[in-house]
Amino acid sequence: MEVKAFLGGLHVPHYKSFSEKQPIKVASLPEEIIIPLSQHIGAPCQPLVKVGDRVKAGEKIGEAESFVCAPVHASLSGTVKAIEKRPIHSGQMVECIVIEVDEQQESVGYANNDVEKMSKEEIIQAVKEAGIVGMGGAAFPTVVKIQPPPDKPIDALILNGCECEPYLTCDHRIMLEKTDELLKGVKLLQKVLDVEKAFICIEDNKPDAINALKEKNDDPNIVIMKTPTKYPQGAEKQLIKATLGREVPPGGLPFDVGALVQNVGTAVAVYEAVKYNKPLIERVVTVTGQNIDQPGNLLVKIGTPLEHLLAECGGIKEGPAKVIMGGPMTGVAQSDLSVPVVKGITGITVLPPAMAYGEPEYTDCVRCCKCVESCPMLLYPNLISIYGEVGLYEKAEKWNTMDCIECGICAYVCPSERPIVKFVQQAKPKIQKLQASRKNA
Amino acid sequence: MDEKKKLVVSSAPHLRDEGTVGKAMRDVFVALIPVSLVAIYFFHWYAVFIIGVCLVTAVLTEILFRKMLKKEPRLYDWSALVTGLFVALLFPATTAWWKAAIATFIAVGIAKELMGGLGRNRFNPALFGRVALIIIAPVMSFIDQQFSALYLNLGTVDSMTQATPLAMLHQGMEMPGYGQLFFAFPGGALGETSPFFLLLGAAYLFYKGHIGWRIPVSIVGTVFVLTFFFGANPLHHLLVGSLTLGAFFMATDWVTSPFTDKGKIIFGIAIGILIVVFRLGLSPTEGVAFSILILNGFVPMIENYTLRPQFGKVKKAVAVE
Repeated sequence: MEVKAFLGGLHVPHYKSFSEKQPIKVASLPEEIIIPLSQHIGAPCQPLVKVGDRVKAGEKIGEAESFVCAPVHASLSGTVKAIEKRPIHSGQMVECIVIEVDEQQESVGYANNDVEKMSKEEIIQAVKEAGIVGMGGAAFPTVVKIQPPPDKPIDALILNGCECEPYLTCDHRIMLEKTDELLKGVKLLQKVLDVEKAFICIEDNKPDAINALKEKNDDPNIVIMKTPTKYPQGAEKQLIKATLGREVPPGGLPFDVGALVQNVGTAVAVYEAVKYNKPLIERVVTVTGQNIDQPGNLLVKIGTPLEHLLAECGGIKEGPAKVIMGGPMTGVAQSDLSVPVVKGITGITVLPPAMAYGEPEYTDCVRCCKCVESCPMLLYPNLISIYGEVGLYEKAEKWNTMDCIECGICAYVCPSERPIVKFVQQAKPKIQKLQASRKNA
Repeated sequence: MDEKKKLVVSSAPHLRDEGTVGKAMRDVFVALIPVSLVAIYFFHWYAVFIIGVCLVTAVLTEILFRKMLKKEPRLYDWSALVTGLFVALLFPATTAWWKAAIATFIAVGIAKELMGGLGRNRFNPALFGRVALIIIAPVMSFIDQQFSALYLNLGTVDSMTQATPLAMLHQGMEMPGYGQLFFAFPGGALGETSPFFLLLGAAYLFYKGHIGWRIPVSIVGTVFVLTFFFGANPLHHLLVGSLTLGAFFMATDWVTSPFTDKGKIIFGIAIGILIVVFRLGLSPTEGVAFSILILNGFVPMIENYTLRPQFGKVKKAVAVE
């Protein structure tokens, strides 16, 4: 089954060849792991351990006390060395539990449940306990997502295997190597959500993944969908539009149009959580780019420092380099390599000196329309950037800055090298303040 | 810190396509070379001289104005050179060099730099410069008297005495063949000599993604339909005057055309209507230039009326198949 493309968008170079043929490899253990108490959208966790405590791998060390939250677990056994603020990839300082890793690894031990016999409530409880969050990057607690409000019935589950972000291949490898787990995870999600139809969407530049899933899938209610290769095909709203023909209204969420989108990696994590009661303590991370010696897809313990992972892959070839957490379109460039890999990290892209530019010197908008033509949200990035640049935030709000998904296409095509996404990111909190003050007035 | 270990940071995205304003402007310059060569073929040194004067004036004017405005000169973006070449192509070869120089000065200095620089100018600089000379005609005749001794005679060229096809059409004279008008015919401004070689350049710009089809197609289509409707010969009207240059190069200018898709079509149709009004009703001279400039002024209004709804604004109920 093929789908129509959404409006806008662009073909950006894939750069997937560095790692797409590399099977998932288990990364070596670091000496220290750093588990941030906030790895997700929502409230941070409360620590359950104190300095000096011994923890086992898989042990819950941070409890979720509010609804939109996900607990965190020790990914390896060891001794709690510190509970302190440490920098994370977003640049913020976040309360983290630092664990010195033991030589002898001890695990809490996992169950082997009969998933067929498990009730909805048991599945939800297992997902909640495992601390699963969206693994495509947004890191929204999955337990919240699989309990949509009762007045918003869902009739379509979409599994996002597009992986439209250049360089990244972790979802691609998961679909190839964990095909069975993925399909079983999809069935669990269907059961929990009471959804008959599920669509697994994959961009047509991954024919091997499409074929693997088609071969293994025997359920007519799970549709393997080939989507065009166009950035940002994997953006939630664009994917729903392409799959179901429905448009999520501005400010709305997928369940407003009866859809729910999960990353393929999340589905696998859900299966492992339900089947084995296994918490989310490891994930597949693509380490890639022209400037890394041995690119690959690694199964990494959550909390592994970035520098350990880079060293594992042969290190950075030449400097000055740019190390990006995530892909090059939406990822965050790092200045500190001690930050940990968290649940929402899809990959690490290391760019060579020739591609590692700093903030570009930009000039005035020349109204070429390239951003207008390619904006997948059908906004006017040209105007947003002009108003954002000079700080006219009310105007920026009027031009729907808040609906920008920050996919980066506008800045990618801009011939004046305008940092449009940066202007949007600066404008959004200002607009939120404006909106809050209006409410209070 | 060790250079080897240095990490570069910037905001996302960390990939950029290779297009820049400078490269696009350079492509426009390249796209104008074929027609410039045709002009040089017909008018020899006169054409070379006019083009040279305009390019040099454009560069000097940009440097002068940007120094005055305390900005760094930005010759690398090619916009001064492109404007200079456009101005040259809007003049006949017999034009006195000071006229071309003054037009270029107005184009680059006033219509572009004083309006805020490339991107902030409301009117197409080259057309503005060209038309300004017509508006300041009394001043120009005074200047012409003062400078007349400086007119350079660069030898006799037969084709220079050729009446312009636009004037021939207006006066109802017998027209040259379509093929001749399309491929190469002397008479009129340098940029009027060959629609074919202009289209060649336009095809290059289209291929490069710098111009779209909406504006030129709606201008050409409107002129064709209206002239046909009013009983004139549509093909003659498409082939003469600076229509091709205007429709494919001037009206498609990024800065001075609407950024909405529908707006581009309305902009093109309105320009087409005005061109026909000038050609059939008023004086045909510089009708294309005036038409485009007038519509340049309406661009913000056109944009306001043709904005698209953002993603998700159209509500459609679709069932799962």
